Amino acid sequence: MDLETVKERAGPRAFSPKDDLPVEYREAATRMIQFHANSEIMGAYLERPFIRQAPSLDRKLAFSAKVQDEIGHGQLLYRAAESLGVKTRDEMLDELANGEGKFLNCFHYPMKKWTETPMIGFFVDGAAMRRQATLKRSSWEPYAHAMDKICFEEGFHVKHGEDILRELATGSRKEQEMLQEAFDEWWPRIIQFFGPTDDKSTHHDFSSEVGLKMMSNDELRNAFLTAYIPKAEKYGLEIPDEPRIEKRDDGSYKVVEDDLDWEEFFTVAKNSYEGSDIQIGKRHDTQEAVEWVRNVLDQHEQAATGAAQTAAD
Amino acid sequence: MSAIDHLSGPADLEEDERQAVETLLYRLADDEFVLAERYTEWQVRSPTLESDLALSNIAQDELGHARLWYDLLEDFGYEEADLIWERDPADFRHATLVELPFEGGDWADAIVRSYLYDEAEHLRLEALEESSYPRIVDRVGKVQAEERYHREHATNWLERLAETDEGRARLQTALDRVFPHALTLFEAVDPDVERRIDEYGIRTRSLEDMGEQWLETVVPFLESLGLEVPLSSDRTVTAEDLPSHVGRDGSHTDDWFDLHDDFTHTYRELGRDSADRIMPDPDDQ
Repeated sequence: MDLETVKERAGPRAFSPKDDLPVEYREAATRMIQFHANSEIMGAYLERPFIRQAPSLDRKLAFSAKVQDEIGHGQLLYRAAESLGVKTRDEMLDELANGEGKFLNCFHYPMKKWTETPMIGFFVDGAAMRRQATLKRSSWEPYAHAMDKICFEEGFHVKHGEDILRELATGSRKEQEMLQEAFDEWWPRIIQFFGPTDDKSTHHDFSSEVGLKMMSNDELRNAFLTAYIPKAEKYGLEIPDEPRIEKRDDGSYKVVEDDLDWEEFFTVAKNSYEGSDIQIGKRHDTQEAVEWVRNVLDQHEQAATGAAQTAAD
Repeated sequence: MSAIDHLSGPADLEEDERQAVETLLYRLADDEFVLAERYTEWQVRSPTLESDLALSNIAQDELGHARLWYDLLEDFGYEEADLIWERDPADFRHATLVELPFEGGDWADAIVRSYLYDEAEHLRLEALEESSYPRIVDRVGKVQAEERYHREHATNWLERLAETDEGRARLQTALDRVFPHALTLFEAVDPDVERRIDEYGIRTRSLEDMGEQWLETVVPFLESLGLEVPLSSDRTVTAEDLPSHVGRDGSHTDDWFDLHDDFTHTYRELGRDSADRIMPDPDDQ
């Protein structure tokens, strides 16, 4: 199939591994899905300390289950990416461990306190839900299909995140203050979750022409603000003065994009932020520490294949 | 008919009976809780995505079991805060096996520890299936069903790791380190109370008896994998085989106090005085 045909036929779940797709499509789709898969894994790194630091047994169980879901999402997404025939899962996991793999801006920042957990668990996950819901109509069928399960589970995560937010917002004065502090710090990053503004986005046009991506970054960001600013206010959070946010006549919100630190964003995007090194370093070190187990598994596999071949001969 | 009379519900127990039931429940709940706490160290750090998912499942099973057993202690008027978050770490009754930290990348430890624990857990739960305390009997079936999978998981991994020289060497190192601590699974919290637990039929097999059968199971299996079990030649457990801290009696390694400090951090930082419940009570599930 040539590129023109791809653009003509691009629609929800239009293409599957049965199709002979041009390399431009396969590479763009791989880049997008690999980014998403990497983000699931790196998000789990940020949240795992709070399995231990959760302040109740039920919260601990919920956090452990959430981190597990994220690994499961990573597994599904790497499979959807692998089916494009550009990279194997092992190659993508190696890239992530050695710092070449890209992932969401928010997961480059350290998360130190329990009161920060709803920033990821409610706002970032809520933002992710909005984007992912549109991706159920992505043109790469395995990606859209993975999104069915992922969106279903993310729904629970956001509910849990909101429950922690509610608890802290209605808790002691100290809890409320710590929550506001966390919100002030995370808010600009959350707004940048959707990526650069449309005029700065390098991949948008092509991805949207071939049906990989359904809505532009700005559209998604403004839809998120319109839904989540009232939620933040409902829990008594004060929206920071910067970045400025304009309320339009129809009740929707729009951020003044120039108020955001895009230089920091692009440093993060290149894995060059100081937090990037820390987070990627963790992934690298923990993966290296269990390399020996994967070697044992490989040897087992080879022995099994060898035995099967001998039996077949 | 059983020769043992059934105990009454939590509200009507004699003081001695209540102490026996509580002690047994602390053994169960603390083991499962602390083991799960350690297992979660593997989340996002396991060798493959698949093994990560499997061990997370096991950790959550154990947390769920801890929740079931702590809930039975709540029958006696305790709250979760008393049982976990505000309890003196020196009062926890888990075996030291479950409190040891995992060294980075030491998947062999995770597997060996899990195997030794799960075989003991299986025996312990069997000895509760006909307990004289009805609240325990009600819950033991659900726990036993999930533990079956844990044993399979550990056994399969042991067999696989033992296939290569490196895997076997790593298993041996882990076994040397944790085996003495596994023996503490069968140690007494207090010999008098343990005797009463048996007398009242709350447990239908003594610790000593279970310990012997456990050795008869794990020693030949580990040897069949080419591993050497660090135990005196006649396979009897003496005081010399035990580590200096046994957990059950309240003596713990420093690692336990660090762990306790870590998992109660948020609770203390926020100045909480109770633990929030977000799931239904086990009796209503």
